Amino acid sequence: MAEGGIRCTVNGQEARFEAGPERTLLQALREELGLTGTKDGCSSGDCGACVVIMDGQPVNACMVLAPQAEGARIRTVEGLAAAGGLHPLQRAFGETWAFQCGFCTPGMLMSCVALLEANDRPSRDDILTAIAGNFCRCTGYQAVVKAVQQAAAEMRGGEGPA
Amino acid sequence: MTAPAVVGRWVSAPGAAEIVTGDARYCPDIRLPGLLTGKLLYAPHPRARIARLDVGKARAIPGVHAVLTHADIPGENSYLYAEPDQPLLAEDEVRFQGDAVAAVAAEDERTAAAALAAIEVEYEPLPGVFDPLEAMREDAPRIVAGEDNVIMREVYRTGDVEAAFAAADVVVENTYRTRWAEHAFLETEGAVAQLDDEGVLTVYSSCQAPHRDRMQIARALGLPESRVRVVTPYIGGAFGGKDEAHVQMHAALLAHAARRPVRLIRDRRESILTHVKRHPITVECATAASRDGRILAVRARAIADAGPYTNATYEVVNKFGEFIGGPYRVENLEVEKIGVRTNNPISGAFRGFGAPQAAFVYESQMDDVARELGMDPLELRLLNGVETGTRMYTGVVVRAGDAMKASLRRAAELIGWQGRTAQERQPAPQLRRGWGMATILKGSGLGRGLGDHAGVVLEMHRDASVVLRSGAADMGQGIVTVMAQLAAERLGVEYDAVRVVRADTAQAPDAGASCASRQAMVSGNAVLAAADSIRATLLGLAARKLRRDQAELDLRAGEVWADGEPSGLTVRELAERASAWGYPLHAEHVSHFEYPPDVPEASYRFSQEVFQFCTQVAQVLVDCETGQVQVERLVAVHDAGRMINPGGVYGQIEGGLAQGIGYALTEELVVSEGRTLNPSLENYVIPMALDIPALEMDVLEFPEPVGGPLGAKGIAESPIIPTAPAIRNAILDAVGQPLYELPMTAERVLAALDRAAPGAEDG
Repeated sequence: MAEGGIRCTVNGQEARFEAGPERTLLQALREELGLTGTKDGCSSGDCGACVVIMDGQPVNACMVLAPQAEGARIRTVEGLAAAGGLHPLQRAFGETWAFQCGFCTPGMLMSCVALLEANDRPSRDDILTAIAGNFCRCTGYQAVVKAVQQAAAEMRGGEGPA
Repeated sequence: MTAPAVVGRWVSAPGAAEIVTGDARYCPDIRLPGLLTGKLLYAPHPRARIARLDVGKARAIPGVHAVLTHADIPGENSYLYAEPDQPLLAEDEVRFQGDAVAAVAAEDERTAAAALAAIEVEYEPLPGVFDPLEAMREDAPRIVAGEDNVIMREVYRTGDVEAAFAAADVVVENTYRTRWAEHAFLETEGAVAQLDDEGVLTVYSSCQAPHRDRMQIARALGLPESRVRVVTPYIGGAFGGKDEAHVQMHAALLAHAARRPVRLIRDRRESILTHVKRHPITVECATAASRDGRILAVRARAIADAGPYTNATYEVVNKFGEFIGGPYRVENLEVEKIGVRTNNPISGAFRGFGAPQAAFVYESQMDDVARELGMDPLELRLLNGVETGTRMYTGVVVRAGDAMKASLRRAAELIGWQGRTAQERQPAPQLRRGWGMATILKGSGLGRGLGDHAGVVLEMHRDASVVLRSGAADMGQGIVTVMAQLAAERLGVEYDAVRVVRADTAQAPDAGASCASRQAMVSGNAVLAAADSIRATLLGLAARKLRRDQAELDLRAGEVWADGEPSGLTVRELAERASAWGYPLHAEHVSHFEYPPDVPEASYRFSQEVFQFCTQVAQVLVDCETGQVQVERLVAVHDAGRMINPGGVYGQIEGGLAQGIGYALTEELVVSEGRTLNPSLENYVIPMALDIPALEMDVLEFPEPVGGPLGAKGIAESPIIPTAPAIRNAILDAVGQPLYELPMTAERVLAALDRAAPGAEDG
């Protein structure tokens, strides 16, 4: 463990946080770095509200111990929008009512971004599999499928949905 | 030419940009200087006497700023949803697993946990009462001293039930059981309280009723309501589970005692163990029918398990009885409704408020009657369904009821009801396919005779931007969007020009609770009335400027329109004129839920009179070896009166369907001797993305003639109501075996199959 705690990259910036034995990446992000976009729905890996992308893979941040993040590249919902504006997926989520209360949205977005980066033409089943661990109590996931397909089409350059 | 109206358009929610960027702040995200962590100590026994409670050691821990027991509450030590029988902090006895006995505030999570561990409590466990029938016996221990265990026992009767049963060709009689269900809103209950320099206690509250929270907080602290302010940050779902206050008073008490801001958030386990659940109800129901398929009479007796405290039991059980006849012309009906205290989990409000349990009973009965008569379930429903003008068994006249049969016909068309028998019924040796439907009605509003009103404040600025202040909490259901659309529509401005201030009691008048599918109607009407007052001022100025009669003018898309054409005069110019010359462009209005005067005296108490109608049809595949039920298709046709916000309407429907599938098949809190055995999202099984079929939804628009803003109806509750009976009836169709208990888990399906073929599964 590095002197002075854990070092990693969060949304492209160097970051440091404490490395207590029970400390999770979720706590580090929310409490030390002030990145409260990532939500805590259960603290037990069952709901996916805390999904972040760690070295390209979506993970439940509540299940990652802080020391496991040493040297990792971490992306959270706060890093999705670029200088040019919202990510196409963020816009599509708002337009299609892919959320209601919005508490699952940050984790849901990160699972879907990871999917779109690996698959630019996801089928309905691909999307449902990608969000299989993201619990949403407000929707029935239909609008999420619609949002991801809308964003995928836009990112491919205006083609119709897959 | 016509400019596009804002109402009926797909628009994003006003807070969408904040939600997708992670900027939206929910209670757990609030950061304040000096913020302490609050925690509650909960009872380890479902019923016990508190022999000794000593917080001395906890108070001595460095970093602990407050440790409170019942003795430290300056005001009233009780919740007040209905009756003040639930303590905030238990005094001499704990009565269920969710009773708190002490509250702490400390520098951080770890210190707060240490403080809880240092509190010394000696309990003398008492024998609990876990069976409502046992609790109803004369010699049963009183759950709450001095209070009857029977919270309510009422009989409602209309027509001549005895004679109707005597004359019936067919009588179907069954006993139904439903179990505790959990809301599982993704954001657990939480509150953040802060006392400011002027002695005002501000409480950020994840709630459904900010003004009622304010009353309860003031009452607990012994403060005037003028010194309490409740603000709703973003709220991560509620579904009835945050209708009653939860930890708001505890957070406020701690902040007041510690003189530091306090954040108190329940963890998932605490959330499941403590907040109200959907009432488990045991129902004996008999339905009488004639040979030609007319429903002659319904008789039901329902016993609901309230848990130890009154909470919403009266209202929920009353609503159960109100809908037990379903959307049918039933002239003879008798329902006995009983709510009983036990030491089980507390029951209360949950989306549908007694109607889902009632629908499981009446729609199962309908299919059992159809089988008995050899009739098509669709035909039986069409034959008996209410219509516009039908006087219901409650005494209420249905003002807009054409959606009942229209939704049945449309849903049957979408699923291919007539052609279904051509499909494979046994695609593999162990698999059976079947189809089932359910159609329901559910009222909106609190009910006749109850105070049911909502206020808004609306203001247009000189640049024609608009601020709307309402006390209506938005937990995700979308009331802020609906209000912004209605204001924009009437003021002739773009939707984006309206900013809605999230409910804050310091800024907005009381709008009542966001419950009972009421806000779109009652707050919607308040917005229309306030907007019309400003609109009249704008049109008056426009009439003078254009030298036209005011009645010939309209405001649309930022302009004044005359003779169906834009005039070139903008709303902004009018707003500038009004501002320059002192014409008021602000309005406050309080709207009341409207009830017509034509109800006979003997009508059902607190009846609702605006009805949501909907029909759902399920196609299922049952695995007779495992008992697993797969929902292959689910069709839902709902009447919205008129859609204001289509995104929200479809969103509510798909979410209700997902919740309905869970209620039907998997969601069950397992409770043994007052203890919940599965208080986690891992073990309380909720359908996830891969468990839900493609949902086929359609919305009908039969405008509500009285009391619906532009004809709109509330839509929030109905989608969850028909799902369980539709699936039950599909299982019945598939395997020929009726189920009478929810949820219809694989074990219960197998048990039903075993009953049909005793011994067949033994080998």
